[in-house]
Amino acid sequence: MDWSAVPGYVRDNAYLGIVPALIGLVISVPLGIACVRWRWLYPPVLSVTSMLYAVPSLALFIVLIPYTGLTDTTVIIPLALFSLCVLVPNVVDGLRSVPDPVRQAATAMGFGTLRRLVRVELPVAVPIVIAGLRVAVVSSISLASIGQLIGVYSLGYLIVDGYQRDFLEEILVGGGLIIALALVCDLVLVLIRRLLTPWQPRRSKRELLPVVVTAPAQARELSRSAG
Amino acid sequence: MITFEAVTKRYAGGTVAVDHLDLEIPDGQTMVLVGPSGCGKTTSLRMINRLIEPSSGRILLDGQDVAASNPAELRRGIGYVIQQSGLFPHRTIEDNIATVPLLIGWKKARARSRSRELMTLVGLDEDLARRYPYQLSGGQQQRVGVARALAADPPVLLMDEPFSAVDPIVRATLQDELIKLQAELHKTIVLVTHDVEEAIKVGDQVAIFRPGGRIAQVDAPERLLAAPADSYVENFLGFDRGIRRLSFLAASGLSLDDRAVVDDEDTSAAEAAQVAREAGEGWVLVADGGRKPLGWASADDLEAQPAGSRAGEARLEPYGHTFSVRTDSLRAALDATVLSRAGRAVGVDEDGRVIGVTSYERLRVAIHAAERAADAAAGRGAAGSATSGGTPSGGAASPGAAADGAAPAGRAG
Amino acid sequence: MSFFSYAWDWIKQPQQWHGAESIPVRIVEQLGYTALALLLAAVIAIPLGILIGHSGRGGLAVVNVANAWRAIPTLGLLVLLAITLKNFTVAWLVPLVVLGIPPILVNAYEGVAGVDPELKDAARGMGMTPWQQIRKVEVPAATPLIVLGLRTGAIFVVATATIAAYIGLGGLGRYIIDGLATNNYGEVAGGALFVVLLALAVQLVFIGVRRLLVPAGLRKQARAS
Repeated sequence: MDWSAVPGYVRDNAYLGIVPALIGLVISVPLGIACVRWRWLYPPVLSVTSMLYAVPSLALFIVLIPYTGLTDTTVIIPLALFSLCVLVPNVVDGLRSVPDPVRQAATAMGFGTLRRLVRVELPVAVPIVIAGLRVAVVSSISLASIGQLIGVYSLGYLIVDGYQRDFLEEILVGGGLIIALALVCDLVLVLIRRLLTPWQPRRSKRELLPVVVTAPAQARELSRSAG
Repeated sequence: MITFEAVTKRYAGGTVAVDHLDLEIPDGQTMVLVGPSGCGKTTSLRMINRLIEPSSGRILLDGQDVAASNPAELRRGIGYVIQQSGLFPHRTIEDNIATVPLLIGWKKARARSRSRELMTLVGLDEDLARRYPYQLSGGQQQRVGVARALAADPPVLLMDEPFSAVDPIVRATLQDELIKLQAELHKTIVLVTHDVEEAIKVGDQVAIFRPGGRIAQVDAPERLLAAPADSYVENFLGFDRGIRRLSFLAASGLSLDDRAVVDDEDTSAAEAAQVAREAGEGWVLVADGGRKPLGWASADDLEAQPAGSRAGEARLEPYGHTFSVRTDSLRAALDATVLSRAGRAVGVDEDGRVIGVTSYERLRVAIHAAERAADAAAGRGAAGSATSGGTPSGGAASPGAAADGAAPAGRAG
Repeated sequence: MSFFSYAWDWIKQPQQWHGAESIPVRIVEQLGYTALALLLAAVIAIPLGILIGHSGRGGLAVVNVANAWRAIPTLGLLVLLAITLKNFTVAWLVPLVVLGIPPILVNAYEGVAGVDPELKDAARGMGMTPWQQIRKVEVPAATPLIVLGLRTGAIFVVATATIAAYIGLGGLGRYIIDGLATNNYGEVAGGALFVVLLALAVQLVFIGVRRLLVPAGLRKQARAS
């Protein structure tokens, strides 16, 4: 087994997993804010993001090939679109999680709408948004390996090469490293959340596990908007 | 001075929350808006800082229509305290308090030191400054809320049921501290509550609302208790009105009997017995050398003593409750009298030395006189009790009979 | 050339529509794999989720597992089973079922656990046995979320089935994998187009199922909350 190339694949996979999640974040924050401000916007946005999410990643990669070739971008764009399905609900839930008295107090003290959003509502929403980011990063890292089928390199190479050469160890290393990478990134995000939110009561060690706070809430919302 | 001019708030669907409200809130005093749920008191409060906009009419703050100012700027000059405190969970206590100062451009250091000042003012340990709201109890959070509202030293403070969410013991403490704070700061406070006891305890002026957003009566608490404008107000004030009013009348007007007080060693039992028979309705109060009360002695017990014994050697009944002549109210005196086994209460000075004793008869006389004096004083001022449209400043809050600047007897009630 | 023109060039070829490897056949194959795997996953996950939700214990473990599972690379799992197991059917069916279970499990759990406690209390108070409580109160109330779980599960099963062509499975993924191997982008694009259409169609079916299964009152109530 050629270990020398592995760090490169890890880097590639990390890049292909983290960038889409960040792009998704950049899109979903304003989008989420809009969905909170204009409630009627939320169900159609949810429908669109969940329909996008329903399309297999491989198919989306292929749809983009004529336009973006066999590059990283071809993988990054679909994964970013997928991440919206998790991140937009989390941004919305995060903003809605700001207690009404807090919002009222801010207005009463003379905060304008924008300042209140930036100084009060978004900071309080951070824990829930990061929870969504964790899911987005973990899924993207895993899905990125599928890009190997169209020649975009990642740890998926070890899986594909292992299959072609009937080499079990390589497959296990590839799969294992993907899982490990995902879990490490998840842990890093937990630590980032701890740093950003010293104001939250410390829950028990449970919070280290990859728990998505709003998976149920998101499910509820999807069930509300669909059908 | 805050003035409501024919302010009305109508909601879609026809509900009238506030109906042509006219009200003047004088500077430097606590005006309490009180009434049942849905009577428009909170709506009225929130129209002052434009969290709600009136449908018609206007509100003047120091002569200027609040609608003319930029809302955010207006609010930075008005303190606002709500029931659930609404502290920013993501900021430390000191940064929470410093919110408005920082908003209007103070340097961080100055704002934080102001926070600490205020923490001391509202009775919070400075150790709590770097903590977060989730680490504080409900009562502590409310204090932070008040400190935050006062941070930029606004002349006006709006309080919306600020103490309703804490338990009764904490609530009483917070009310007392608000009174003390106000005595120091003299802010214009407008406080909304549904609890008429709180209104009477805390308010310099109380506005009682009717359902439907109209005012039934605006007056000083003592005047409300003395002369409710109609049966609605009377019912709203609750029973016991007469006795509760006594909280506002000073005990210093009571005439006390000092004849029936004897020294335990200087007086013989026989002499004491004689005093008891003549001056004390069969009882005499025995005091020690420092004139601190020891107990009541009955004439019978004294006469039964062996010859030559001192008054202090006789069997003494507990002297019961005392009241402080200078600072307590007639209500305290009445209460002490009721509780005392001898049917007589002992009036003491600030050091606990007996000045004299009172009786039901003396109380009756004093109460009657105090009430008449209070009514006369109220009548002499501008129109006292009023329905919508009256000015509350006439119902002066000073208790009628107190002559020597006794501290507001009502608070000690 | 655009994606659609590539795809169309290939699709309009008549040979794609006849024979054992034609588009209709592949579509049916893909639907078949999906239905089978989803059914198996549902049979395992729904009762399990309901039981855990009813008992109120182990919920945290459920949610943790479901989310940790997202880290598992689909391709890795497929290839691993293909190499280590002689049995081909197991090699493709197991990953499809395994990857379909977590969303169904979580949603079934959430659906039952999230039933209004007062409702559950009333059921117990009326003397219903646990089985009756589950059947008459908790499952009906949990239906919307269970359907959502199936819908989400379908997403993962369809996606995994598509990729499973890599280890030899039929279905629409076959076009993609074969086309990539022979550098025939038309075939790849055509396959991808149908995959997209099929995936969206499956979603629409579930949306329709929800409308049918969930009483209108519950739907409106959910929307209003």
